[in-house]
Amino acid sequence: MTIRSFELLQPRSLPEAVEMLREHGDDARPLGGGTTLVILMKQRAVHYPFLVDLQTIPGLNGIGQESDGLRIGALASHRMVELSPVVRRLLPVVAEAFGHIGNVRVRETASVGGNLAHADYRLDPPPPLLVLGADIGAVGPNGSRRISLKNFFRGMYETALEPSEILVDVKIPAPPADSKAVYLRYSTLSANDWPCLGVAALLTKENGRCKELRLALGGVAPTPLLIDGLEFTRDQSLDDGVVDKVLQKVEEQISPSSDLRGSEWYKRRMARLFVQKAIAQLNGDQG
Amino acid sequence: MATRDKDMADLSVVGQSVYRTDANPKVTGRALHVGNIEMPGMLHVAVLRSPYAHARIKRIDKAKAEALSGVAVVLTGAEIAKMPGVDAHFGPAFRDQPILAVEKVCYAGDPVVAVAAVDRRTAEDALQLVEVDYEQLPAVFDVLEAVKSDSPFVHEQHRPAKAFADLAHVKAGRQSNICYHFKLRTGDVDKAFAEADRVFEDTFSSPPAQHVPMEPHVTLVYLDEHARLNVWTSSQSPSYVRTELSATFGIPMNRIRVRVPYIGGGYGAKLYAKLEPLATVLALITRKPVRYALTREEEFLTITKHGVVTKIKTAVKNGAITARKCEVYWDTGAYAEIGPRIGHKSGYTSAGPYRIPNVWIDSYCVYTNRVPAGAFRGFGVPQVIWAYDSQTDLIARALGADPVEFRLKPALEEGEPFATGTLVHSFGIKEAIRQAAQAIDWTKPRAVQAGTKRRGKGIAAGVKAVLTPSISGAIVILNADGTANVLSSTVEMGQGSETTLGQIVAEELGLSVGQVHIVQPDTDVTPYDTITAGSRSTYHMGNAVRMAAAKVKAALCEVVAAKLEVAPDDLLARNGRVCVRGMEERGMTIGEIFLAKFGSLGTTLAAEAVCQPTAAHMDPETGQSEASRGGGMSTDRRPHGPGNRPVGKMHGVLVSFGHRRGSRGRYRNRARRSSATHQRRRHRHGDQSETL
Repeated sequence: MTIRSFELLQPRSLPEAVEMLREHGDDARPLGGGTTLVILMKQRAVHYPFLVDLQTIPGLNGIGQESDGLRIGALASHRMVELSPVVRRLLPVVAEAFGHIGNVRVRETASVGGNLAHADYRLDPPPPLLVLGADIGAVGPNGSRRISLKNFFRGMYETALEPSEILVDVKIPAPPADSKAVYLRYSTLSANDWPCLGVAALLTKENGRCKELRLALGGVAPTPLLIDGLEFTRDQSLDDGVVDKVLQKVEEQISPSSDLRGSEWYKRRMARLFVQKAIAQLNGDQG
Repeated sequence: MATRDKDMADLSVVGQSVYRTDANPKVTGRALHVGNIEMPGMLHVAVLRSPYAHARIKRIDKAKAEALSGVAVVLTGAEIAKMPGVDAHFGPAFRDQPILAVEKVCYAGDPVVAVAAVDRRTAEDALQLVEVDYEQLPAVFDVLEAVKSDSPFVHEQHRPAKAFADLAHVKAGRQSNICYHFKLRTGDVDKAFAEADRVFEDTFSSPPAQHVPMEPHVTLVYLDEHARLNVWTSSQSPSYVRTELSATFGIPMNRIRVRVPYIGGGYGAKLYAKLEPLATVLALITRKPVRYALTREEEFLTITKHGVVTKIKTAVKNGAITARKCEVYWDTGAYAEIGPRIGHKSGYTSAGPYRIPNVWIDSYCVYTNRVPAGAFRGFGVPQVIWAYDSQTDLIARALGADPVEFRLKPALEEGEPFATGTLVHSFGIKEAIRQAAQAIDWTKPRAVQAGTKRRGKGIAAGVKAVLTPSISGAIVILNADGTANVLSSTVEMGQGSETTLGQIVAEELGLSVGQVHIVQPDTDVTPYDTITAGSRSTYHMGNAVRMAAAKVKAALCEVVAAKLEVAPDDLLARNGRVCVRGMEERGMTIGEIFLAKFGSLGTTLAAEAVCQPTAAHMDPETGQSEASRGGGMSTDRRPHGPGNRPVGKMHGVLVSFGHRRGSRGRYRNRARRSSATHQRRRHRHGDQSETL
């Protein structure tokens, strides 16, 4: 299929981009890497007469260490995150999650901001970013604000962004001392397909016991999901009984739907299995 | 094997590993494909497809689309049906598939309106301006539902085509979704079941799948300066495309030219006519070159492999299989396509390659409101092997027998009758089972395995039906400089036929592979060939080019024999010369022979040969058949080039086997299947098994 003709607007600054989006309202969308938007337009599933090209705005693709963590610009490509020495050193789990997506050609093109703003429930980056407590920066007609990622995803393909608001960066705080994080992605079809589900876990330990356990899952609910109510794991050793209770929390909160990547029943089984694997991996020799 | 080895020793080109002749142009991107051809004023086609699986077309409003600038024509099936002398339907077994839907649509994805415009985008813009009103009809998606008497009928009448000799017995049917029924009755099955120690009854199903050739279907049609129909197409069957277009449009065959350059894979998807009839009708109306290329999504709405349900019941007495009753239901989708041939050829193998005294087979080809199903790697055979040899395994395990030994005992011997009565030759099934078992160390106990990825062992045996009768013609033209051109309609689609045929001709004429050029299929130039499919090209076309080359060689030998006063039988073609066996310094170069024969080097020496090796007689009622020598089952175990080709092809075969465990798309009358098509699994190279 081909794309219906549209106008590509090329702003030179963020305020100009916001103004363009405001002016054209529902007829316009911001364009990041375009790997999803362009496909949807080629399939003629959606049509926007105006695309606002964020790639022409300087400074939106930086990746850098800040005093309180790591900042990734919205226009950084997946590949940049995957290969970034600073991301690999500070948050290898993030580099790994971005390195799982699609294939190298897609990763060279797709942007971090586009990935998050698309709010697909199956994407790989949200679960690790959720357990790391990331937030996103947005700039709109009423100025700029920060939104925690936990409150960012509102529904299937729905986010907290207001009309004409642009996602500009994601900030990831430095992980707690003595913590380890892991992201496990499970693909039932071919390796470069969307995952059936993904599980991110972050475990902080103190004296061989759990200080804090965080879990987030992708692909098993209308949005990426940070699991609530795991405070009970504090000061516990993660034995079978505790893990069982964790699994129960997971089961209560997920709501997978059946599709080509697995039935609801299967996805529930796999969610249990991969949460178990993630915890076992982080708990290491004591697990 | 001893004689084979001796044969091989005499060969200088066949059996050698040679560089593929198409490798360089393909790897460097210089190979011509239909999609690379641009013509002045060329129009591009987009097709509006039905959102419903079964519906009556009540109204089509295309005025707005026609008014769009850049649109040459907006066409409906009703308009095609009114064109004088044009058959609005086509198909290799039944003429049941409309060029564009007439009156009703039979599957979600059925082409309804076509636009030809200056570019693809304009054509797609125009489609969005077309309005179609449908009245939904009850639809059937399940092959076992479709055979019930109260099922909705996909077609009100069945109209046989007459294009292929092996389908000449296909009959116009009464009201039913069963368009073809192959029946085989051997021995007394009921008695054997009554006397059996144990009876095993199982049902196996196999889902449809898409071929996903790297190059989607593409066709370019234009009228030349004589208003002759010129067709460039990505097809596995150029000769058939010409026949079909002639029948559909009433155009004499010599006014149709079908050319096929290198094609990017076929796997059965590109057999028979696909895009050619629609591209032709658009070219006839607009008098301009028309290119019709499918998107990947449209591939999934055009042709699939047959989903199959097989019910199989087996009687065992004293540890041996005494009877097998198979009911095979082929879901051929909305149009029969080549389903009847598959129901027939694969249906008659559905009891397996075993000595079973009592066999009962009913193989039904059934219409449903799904995407049409056609040929797909193995022509239906993998689906029935999955059924019968899964059951063979279940039986062996239930009896506590070794699965290899259990198969070896009843496996047919050379010259024994198959279930159809055909005597099997060059069969080799026992040897194949033994070698396969040996290759996986069958008798060695498995080591205790840890971890979650564990390796198992299994074995299955199967027999592939062959396409008979079929015909390949070829012409070999020898040039005075000792190079040759070969005219053959075999399509090079990645299988390596160009290299193989080149080796055979080079061998026969004593040339090197580089001195032989294979002319690509062009129905103005290259003789008839049934199809490039069914692993038949090396045997059929290979023999045709060999026989044609042998005639050329005979003409050369005649000259040399007269000149050197030796018997023609004592002569040998080697290294561009014809010389005396054992005294190879005595001989003449091809140039010298031409001078002696024609007095000139400005000429050519040509010969034609046709390979039609088998005359099989089959009674369509009983399936009883007699095959003369060379037919039936044949296994050519001689590798024509032990290089990459057989290994590559084996990889392909293994990838196809993966579909047995593939997931099934969901069908609903309302929902378009596009979501399923986007998400459907495509096998990637990395998904293949690690070892062969």
